[in-house]
Amino acid sequence: MAIQGIDFANLSLKDALDLAILVEDEAQERYEEFATQMDQHQTPHAAQFFRYMVKNEAKHGQELQARRVQRFGDAPRSVTRAMIFDIEAPDYDAARAFMSPRKAMEAALASEVKAHAFFVSALPALKDSEVRALFEELRDEEVEHQEMVQLELAKLPPDSGLSDEDFVDEPAAQ
Amino acid sequence: MRKDLVFGMAGSGGDGIVSAGDSLLQAAAAEGYHGVMTKSFGSQIRGGESSCRVRISTTPILNPGGNLDVAVALNWDDFLKFGAELPVSGNTVVIYEAATKILEADIPLVGVTPLQVIAVPIAEMAKATAGTERAKNTVVLGLIAGWFGIGAVAVMKGIRKKLAKKGEELVDANQRAFDAGRAFAMEHPLKVSMNVAASATKGQVKLITDGNDMCAAAAIFAGCRFFGGYPITPSTEVMQFFTDHVWKYNGAVLQAEDEIAGIGAAVGASFAGTKSMTATSGPGLSLKSEMMGLASIAELPLVIVDVQRGGPSTGLPTKTEQSDLFAAAFSAHGDVIRPVLAPTSVADTFRITIEAFNIAEYYQTPVIVLSDQEIASRKETLDPIDTSQFKIINRVVPTGTDLVDYKRFKQTDNHISPISHPGMLGGTYLASGIEHVESGAPTNSGSVHQRMNDKRTKKFDPLKDRKDLFEVTGNPDAPIAILAWGSVAGVCREALEMAQAEGINVKLMVPYLLYPVAEGVYNEFFQSVQKGLIVEQTHLAQTFKLLRMHIDLPKGVQSLARSGANPFLPTDIVEALHRLLSELQRSHEGQLQPQE
Amino acid sequence: MSATCDYQAKDYKSDLKPIWCPGCGDFSVVQGIYRALAAIGRPPHEIAFVSGIGCSSRIPGYTTAYGFNSVHGRSLPIAQGIKLANPDLLVLAAGGDGDGFSIGGGHIAHLIRRNMDITYIVMDNQIYGLTKGQLSPTSQKGRVTCTSRYGSMEEPVNPLLYVLAYGAGFVAQASPTDLVGMAATIEEAIRYPGFAFVNVQSPCVTYGEEAQQIKGLKAISESLQSLGHNPADRLAAMDLAQQYGQKMHLGVFYRNPEPPPTYGDLVKERQTLLSKDALPKERILDLFIKK
Repeated sequence: MAIQGIDFANLSLKDALDLAILVEDEAQERYEEFATQMDQHQTPHAAQFFRYMVKNEAKHGQELQARRVQRFGDAPRSVTRAMIFDIEAPDYDAARAFMSPRKAMEAALASEVKAHAFFVSALPALKDSEVRALFEELRDEEVEHQEMVQLELAKLPPDSGLSDEDFVDEPAAQ
Repeated sequence: MRKDLVFGMAGSGGDGIVSAGDSLLQAAAAEGYHGVMTKSFGSQIRGGESSCRVRISTTPILNPGGNLDVAVALNWDDFLKFGAELPVSGNTVVIYEAATKILEADIPLVGVTPLQVIAVPIAEMAKATAGTERAKNTVVLGLIAGWFGIGAVAVMKGIRKKLAKKGEELVDANQRAFDAGRAFAMEHPLKVSMNVAASATKGQVKLITDGNDMCAAAAIFAGCRFFGGYPITPSTEVMQFFTDHVWKYNGAVLQAEDEIAGIGAAVGASFAGTKSMTATSGPGLSLKSEMMGLASIAELPLVIVDVQRGGPSTGLPTKTEQSDLFAAAFSAHGDVIRPVLAPTSVADTFRITIEAFNIAEYYQTPVIVLSDQEIASRKETLDPIDTSQFKIINRVVPTGTDLVDYKRFKQTDNHISPISHPGMLGGTYLASGIEHVESGAPTNSGSVHQRMNDKRTKKFDPLKDRKDLFEVTGNPDAPIAILAWGSVAGVCREALEMAQAEGINVKLMVPYLLYPVAEGVYNEFFQSVQKGLIVEQTHLAQTFKLLRMHIDLPKGVQSLARSGANPFLPTDIVEALHRLLSELQRSHEGQLQPQE
Repeated sequence: MSATCDYQAKDYKSDLKPIWCPGCGDFSVVQGIYRALAAIGRPPHEIAFVSGIGCSSRIPGYTTAYGFNSVHGRSLPIAQGIKLANPDLLVLAAGGDGDGFSIGGGHIAHLIRRNMDITYIVMDNQIYGLTKGQLSPTSQKGRVTCTSRYGSMEEPVNPLLYVLAYGAGFVAQASPTDLVGMAATIEEAIRYPGFAFVNVQSPCVTYGEEAQQIKGLKAISESLQSLGHNPADRLAAMDLAQQYGQKMHLGVFYRNPEPPPTYGDLVKERQTLLSKDALPKERILDLFIKK
């Protein structure tokens, strides 16, 4: 995760909300990209799960967006995507061909843990009480998200303990 | 009075014999003669043996000539190193350096008695008149002016012009050396006068150039504005011409880091929409073959000049050969047709190079101009060429409707798809070495590959009907035929004239298009043929084999092939024709009804 | 050159689907390139993007620019021909570490020497992926691959030091651990007037070693800016570049504060100077008249 040029001490509520929306946007895009990669590499169950995450992230994003509009209307945004990287989005190399739904969920879980860590680490620097409250809320939501993913994980049959890699074909030389 | 004289001169590099040849050719041109000059060197960069051949004639010249009429040896060791390149016969006047201390009766020429042998104290005269032995070549020019009537005025005029900047003293020294040579000749007349008749075209403008410069000039004329190359003998002068001139036409030239980068840059420039070229020789052609394959599959126009030298590998870097034919036609892996054109002289290098660009641009393909060391480095005098008679063809670019949902490799009736280039709005596509669908997107589909191979090969069909890329002379119904290309063609043209003068019923085909093999044109030519010769300077008879691969040559057609640096003389060909003729007569005698 | 207009990253994304393995670092590189191009704002048809052969060399096809996926190791020769033929184009070259530093290793020095105004992006994954995991020129000594069963006996090439030593005017490194930084670095490289080199540590998820995956890279990454490195200091850049393989410094190692003229500038100058001497092309053979 990377944060660039965010002054947490003087972060306004509008900017904090906008940042949170961007974080969801980024995660949504990454899951979309992963889903496409899975489609193309005949890993449909993982693709399905990543699409589920796309929907979740989009939903969170929309909720935040609604709050933002309610409070600040369409006042121009002063934070940009360039200020954040990989907050709630899984790492680029978290996707794998033929990954099991379990592995896909584990990748998502790791991202939620990462996002949680982000909000926790930002809290001490925040001065504005409204912003602090928002970050605390977001932090707690990440815990909810983790639980949600874990719930999905629990639906799966127990892990065989074997590696997917041991069953799939070798890569094809080009 | 003679109408034609062949001079052959040899010495060490320090004797300036090639420079003398240049002066002689220029003087001859100034006096209205036609001339051809070839040079040949040992492999040392300096201080090795060097020689030149100058043929001067009152009529247009077909080749550098066979046996020498005049041989000039500044020392015999060097002269003899050129062997068959400087053949002396019973009709040759031999002039040699008296300081060699060899008696006229003892000159080291085996099995031949020249017409006349004259020892001349060339070095001594140079020293006495110019104060330095270095003026030997000027003495030789004086001797030639005195004995053969060429350049009495023009030689010194040329020298004066060349040395004007270096001071009057040097010019005077040369004048004295020249006069001494001329006076020596006057005092020692030849047994049989060999003066050349005055030229009818005296006073007319003549051009003098070699095949490499002509090729580069033709390229610029054809619109070529980018050259990428790497120095390699004997093709480097093509690049040098570009570095001298292409900037003036807002073009660019790149002496690249290696042969591959040279052609790579040319491929890139062509992709960017610019007519482009590279030039190379033997080993360079091998290195460039992967890029040639790329240009074929990406359907990018490109002209590759290959100036052939003796191979394989380093081979004979300074000698001529035709053994790159297979490499030109077939190098680069995969199923591909790449047109190969071959000029036969400096003069037609102009036309053939333009033709190469036209074919490259029209068919969107790499085209090889298969020149050879002899054509590339020999100098010819030429009558001015009317450039307006040459049509320039440019690649077809997409317009209006083509640019809506543009497909770079679109299937069309003639298999040629309009080609866009960066900067063209709506024309973006992916050029690639990987097989691609019509849009340019990569694929590994077998059926697409089949279709695209079809497209890339069928597009050349009309090229095989280009009869204007074949020259047929002699009686079209003749039962005997000769076929030759490249610099060997000129020898065969003269042989044809000689054979016809003897009454032999013979014809000659000179293909300028070597590949793809135009089956129809050859079949028509060979229809009347019972006996024939495919003449070429390759050890493996590559031309003969290439033709046999594509057409059923008549049984009586034979190969006359030899390795490079063993030039054919017109008389070699005529001799072979005699053999064919007697075979033909024998086979006719075997028949009840002789064929007429 | 047309005026800068508003372009979005998506305007540079083509419809072709990458063949890359899911999780491949190259996915981030192409994203970084989209963003850098959008920031620069040149229309796609004024961009020529050349590559060689390898997984990463598929990249031009995933953009809407004029692409050229050529032969192994030869992206740079082709790119320089394009630039010389049409200096107004924005020319990018890209490929892998094998393409750039092994089979095509001879070309880089010469493009640097000529200061060709081309941006060269190497996706460095220390392995030959397309041919299934052989030793590459940047593989660590001792690395076990299918062509080095008992460990590599060769020192790796140091791409950063290599181009710095030849005098490249712009040298930088990026990685998928910082997409924003990568986009900014590529953008800066493109804006640099002259040869610009960006080494992207792009992990191979299929054949790469654990330490070279994103987690491993993160552990050794350090931003040059945070180190207080002055990008005008070439010797300091070379010092830092020596740590290639141990540390992953991100950002600009070196940017020549006074960029010399590019090869294209010199060509234009020469053309302007000499074009007045041009014979009309119909009369070009007059050059051969000896009076």
